[in-house]
Amino acid sequence: MPELPELNPVIHGKLRLALLSLLVGVDEAEFTWLRAKTGSTDGNLGAQLLKLEEAGYLAVEKKFVQRKPQSIYRITEAGRAALAEYVQALKQLLGGAI
Amino acid sequence: MIEVSEESEMTENTEELEVKERLKLIETMISEGRRTTESWGWTFVLWGVAYYVAIAWSILGHNSWAWVITMAATWLLMMAIIWRKTKRQTEKKPPTRAGRSITAIWTAMGISMMMLFPAMGLSGRFTPQMFVAVAGAMLGTAHATSGMILKWKAQMASAVVWWAASAIACFANNTQCTIVFLLATFFSQIVFGIYAMICDARRNKQEASHA
Repeated sequence: MPELPELNPVIHGKLRLALLSLLVGVDEAEFTWLRAKTGSTDGNLGAQLLKLEEAGYLAVEKKFVQRKPQSIYRITEAGRAALAEYVQALKQLLGGAI
Repeated sequence: MIEVSEESEMTENTEELEVKERLKLIETMISEGRRTTESWGWTFVLWGVAYYVAIAWSILGHNSWAWVITMAATWLLMMAIIWRKTKRQTEKKPPTRAGRSITAIWTAMGISMMMLFPAMGLSGRFTPQMFVAVAGAMLGTAHATSGMILKWKAQMASAVVWWAASAIACFANNTQCTIVFLLATFFSQIVFGIYAMICDARRNKQEASHA
């Protein structure tokens, strides 16, 4: 019997998965754009972004633009690789194991 | 035994649904991110109308500066509209690789035209045939490259029209050349621009209804 692939628990959370998928399609994105696209609250979004950042999947740049704080997020190479592995694992699960 | 089997089947179905749902989520979010390329349909219409104005002014007004003035004024107007649109945006769209590539292509093409055509005019080597052939080839290349990046058949069709105009211009007289240019401008700039604007409006409406 083929061994089932393990799903990365950091990416497995739906909001974190949505965030990584959004960021893989753009160069970088502001916090407000990610909030609008995911429809999540500031607190929850901040917490999930922090988890992804701690895992090394996201890089954040904080700056002030016209005296307003701005957080810009980018997916890292590790993030891209992790998302690709996750998708592969899902396809594997769907293809044979389930 | 039957109960266990049914339960296990149900779990399998639930898991399958969950996996499919996740793959769908990834797909939706990736396309959502990529869909942030700015709407540029209006620029094609603007430049198409500008070509018409420049042709009409240069033929009817016999003004040798008609093209230079119209092109410079159109560029200034385009910049002013972009600035106003950017200022009005409540939510800044994130840059994408596709968006940057397309902007680079059209900017480079615009600079090439702004450098080449006035120089051709000043040196006295400007002919309608050469203008339509070169402008058509440049516009065809820019449309085709954008069309390939965006995988957009309508823009590829615009490229074909410009390439055809470019080739025909080499065999045409002055009047035929002007007609070919006017036709290509109409189909590949004005009609295509309006079509792009309609597509944008439809997409925005869909997004608004999904929100």
